Amino acid sequence: MNNWKLKEIVVMSVLSVVFAVVYLAFLPVGKILVGFFGPIGYDLIFGIWFIVSIITAYIIRKPGAAFLSETIAAAVEVLLGNAVGPMLLVSGMIQGLGAESAFAMTRYKRYDLFTLMLAGVMAAVFSFVWGYFLSGFAALSTGYVLAMFIARIISGAIISGVAGKVLSDALAKTGVLSSFALGKEYRRKRAA
Amino acid sequence: MFLHNVNPTVKALTIIGTVFLLAFVFDPVTPVLYIVWTVIVTFLFGTFKKRYYLYYFIPFTLFAFGMFWTTIVFSDTASGTTGTVSFLGMEFPTEDIWTAAALGLRVLAFASLSLLFLFTTNMVHFILSLIQQLKLPPKIAYGVMAGYRFLPMLKTEFQQIRAAHRIRGVNRPDSWKEKLLQYQRFAIPLLAGAIRKAERTAIAMESKGFTGAKERTFYRPMKVRRKDWLFPVMMFGMLGVTIAFSLYFGYFSWYDGQL
Repeated sequence: MNNWKLKEIVVMSVLSVVFAVVYLAFLPVGKILVGFFGPIGYDLIFGIWFIVSIITAYIIRKPGAAFLSETIAAAVEVLLGNAVGPMLLVSGMIQGLGAESAFAMTRYKRYDLFTLMLAGVMAAVFSFVWGYFLSGFAALSTGYVLAMFIARIISGAIISGVAGKVLSDALAKTGVLSSFALGKEYRRKRAA
Repeated sequence: MFLHNVNPTVKALTIIGTVFLLAFVFDPVTPVLYIVWTVIVTFLFGTFKKRYYLYYFIPFTLFAFGMFWTTIVFSDTASGTTGTVSFLGMEFPTEDIWTAAALGLRVLAFASLSLLFLFTTNMVHFILSLIQQLKLPPKIAYGVMAGYRFLPMLKTEFQQIRAAHRIRGVNRPDSWKEKLLQYQRFAIPLLAGAIRKAERTAIAMESKGFTGAKERTFYRPMKVRRKDWLFPVMMFGMLGVTIAFSLYFGYFSWYDGQL
């Protein structure tokens, strides 16, 4: 933690707080989708719930960014009160670990679209394994569980990977990230 | 008032521990008994507006019913069915109803436990206790506290951006699609403003001498006292009693690959 600057930590926690609210706002959306399609409804938009770890890791580019931001977001969700309870904290940590694992695989060197999508996929895989045990997916038929798994992976890659990158790039263009890793990369590109 | 004075870390760990144990219970009777116990404890030993407790509890019940319903409808047909129960004009195997009720009530049990924590804990005390008891790095803890304070500020910021857009002639959204587009327009200015403010806050903290070092003194020292242990003893003890009760009456079932 010593190589983190305080401003990086505060920015990370602000992003986590903002997205915790977004996460809570998407719970009813998921519920509506569940009403239409059954439990797979959540998986269609599951990627939204990993987005903060991808955005933070992409902006700050330090080991632990993905895990910590997702954990803080989950903690804030618990503090604000939600329908899942304190177990959500553990789910958040597991999703964060999933995203973190993808960045660790590249030794925190590559932050291209592929890595970000991989982070979304890994978060989806980790969270699915956890959900399998916790939410009793095993009660559902095998084919259905497989469909849920695939839907969640695609959603993780597209919503959190691609949309997370688009959002962070748009932020970098405004110039507010000039003292963070992503903003510095932008400046280098412009200078070149 | 007892619940408000329990050390927040001890309280949080107790809640997490009971939730973890309850996650392995697969019959509906144990969670029901435990929900009753948790609600009684919350109301007897906590002071808060009882009305709000109800407001919080209602969405949980809906969610629990949703869980119950989806488990019934989408579950694998149980192999050794002993009979069927008709529910809302449809026939379902008894085992499925039993498991679904267990899952739904489990959600409610988790909910009542987290409400116990939420309604009796001061969040600043909780974070201070995490630093002092669980050795959470102060850098992260104070950073998160600062970030958490941004929440009400972001709301006003959101209203300002919306007003600014309207003054410049952006129309009120009148369809679902436009409403979505509107949120897209808000996202970047809102986040950019938040990041700028966060950076300034960090600089202000450092300029006032915050180093994030672990050796620091506290205005509010949080300690674990002997009477704090009463809470875990009470909660885990009662969980044991409820399990013993449902075992005695033959309702109890542990997770055993039933799903």
